[in-house]
Amino acid sequence: MSAIVKSKDNKPEPIAYSDAALRNNAAVVEYCRTSMAALSGSTAGVLGLTGLYGFAFYVFAVVILWLMFMIKAGSNWNKYYKSRQSLLTSGFFGALFTYVLFWTFIYGMVHVY
Amino acid sequence: MTELLLDPNIRVWVFLPIVIITFLVGIVRHYISIILSSQKKIELLQVQDSQVMIRARLLRENGKYLPRQSFAMRRYWFNNEDTGYFKVQKRAAASQNPMTDPGMMTDMLKGNVTNVLPMIVIGGWINWMFSGFLTTKVPFPLTLRFKPMLQRGVELAYLDASWVSSASWYFLNVFGLRTIYTLVLGENNAADQSKVMQEQMSGAAMAMPPDPKAAFKAEWEALEITEHRWSLANVESDLLATDSSNSL
Amino acid sequence: MDSSIHRIIVLVGFISLFHSAFSAAQHRTYLRITSQEFTTLPLDIVLQAVLSLFAVMWGVLNVAGNLREIPAAAELNNTKWETQRNLPSFYIFNHRGRALACNYVPSPSKSDLDNLE
Repeated sequence: MSAIVKSKDNKPEPIAYSDAALRNNAAVVEYCRTSMAALSGSTAGVLGLTGLYGFAFYVFAVVILWLMFMIKAGSNWNKYYKSRQSLLTSGFFGALFTYVLFWTFIYGMVHVY
Repeated sequence: MTELLLDPNIRVWVFLPIVIITFLVGIVRHYISIILSSQKKIELLQVQDSQVMIRARLLRENGKYLPRQSFAMRRYWFNNEDTGYFKVQKRAAASQNPMTDPGMMTDMLKGNVTNVLPMIVIGGWINWMFSGFLTTKVPFPLTLRFKPMLQRGVELAYLDASWVSSASWYFLNVFGLRTIYTLVLGENNAADQSKVMQEQMSGAAMAMPPDPKAAFKAEWEALEITEHRWSLANVESDLLATDSSNSL
Repeated sequence: MDSSIHRIIVLVGFISLFHSAFSAAQHRTYLRITSQEFTTLPLDIVLQAVLSLFAVMWGVLNVAGNLREIPAAAELNNTKWETQRNLPSFYIFNHRGRALACNYVPSPSKSDLDNLE
């Protein structure tokens, strides 16, 4: 059983997290994040957003994805994620490149040609 | 912002093919690196040494959960002057100079070749073949500093910096498709340019530090100075305290 | 099954997104032909694109795989009584079942070993 102990500083009792489950959840989150970046980039290209509106749309899509994660986890998100903030902000810039690529691609396909 | 009209032929014969080429080359690179890297011979002694190092490290980290006698017994097996593992095992000091050791050299060469060379070759080919015209317009405004970099073949002074040539579209593809490879190929794929540290995987350490004797000596010292502070000393009273506070 | 409905959602969302891209391109061409200014797309295309984005995102989220509970104790809660004693690391092979093998050679007894020396 692969279990590692991570102690929380303010709580009296350390909580042990299962390593395999953490990695599994991180992989699922990463998968959803890249597909979200690709799809929202395509949508931004379709809508013809330019400049700052495009980046605002990316932030909007990240927030929507975070909300969907929370809905999927239900009321007891402690059981699935370690912290909500890291779920929101991690991998932000990695997916940004993918977003820009698809945004440029679809924008070129739909509006330029 | 000027509304330029581009020929639809560019879309079919340049825009799309660059995307397809980048994607497929990445996948091909992944499979080639799998083929090339599958011959790695491991010495039994190396594996034994690395496993012993891992054991010693685990003892240092988790020794506080063992009773004092058990910890002392294990440390004795490692460190004893006459019979301890770190003292008895003699290894030939094989200093692995990266330049002279052929094994490491070919590994480095293969890594460089499979990752960097295709990017340079295809970038150069695209630059040569698809030059002299605009490929697409990036949706966000760019400053004029980027113009000579992004509009390689087109020399127009008044053109908006957002219109880019094929080479910059190729590089945008390379960077953007990196994360998609994890979707398509699963984890640990070699098409990703950012290297994943494979050495720490699952304890079967293949690359022993070049000098086992120095590593043994360092580990011996670390074990000697480790203090054993038994963290389960008061565990019965703690358990009873929480139990009574719960039941109250 | 639960995941097939989500796959269908993903597929329908993709097709709808593609369709909205097509109609946006057609709208663009129409504007170019009639030489009008491009301000924004018609509302129905915008709505279709955004809604299909939500649908595909939700579908992908459910297709991507289940989240596992991260506290280490949670996985232990699902073991059954019959199987919880079965631990592969504790298997013993040096038992009397060896005598049932066809090439069984009985190990020498103590007196044999003494006589050998």
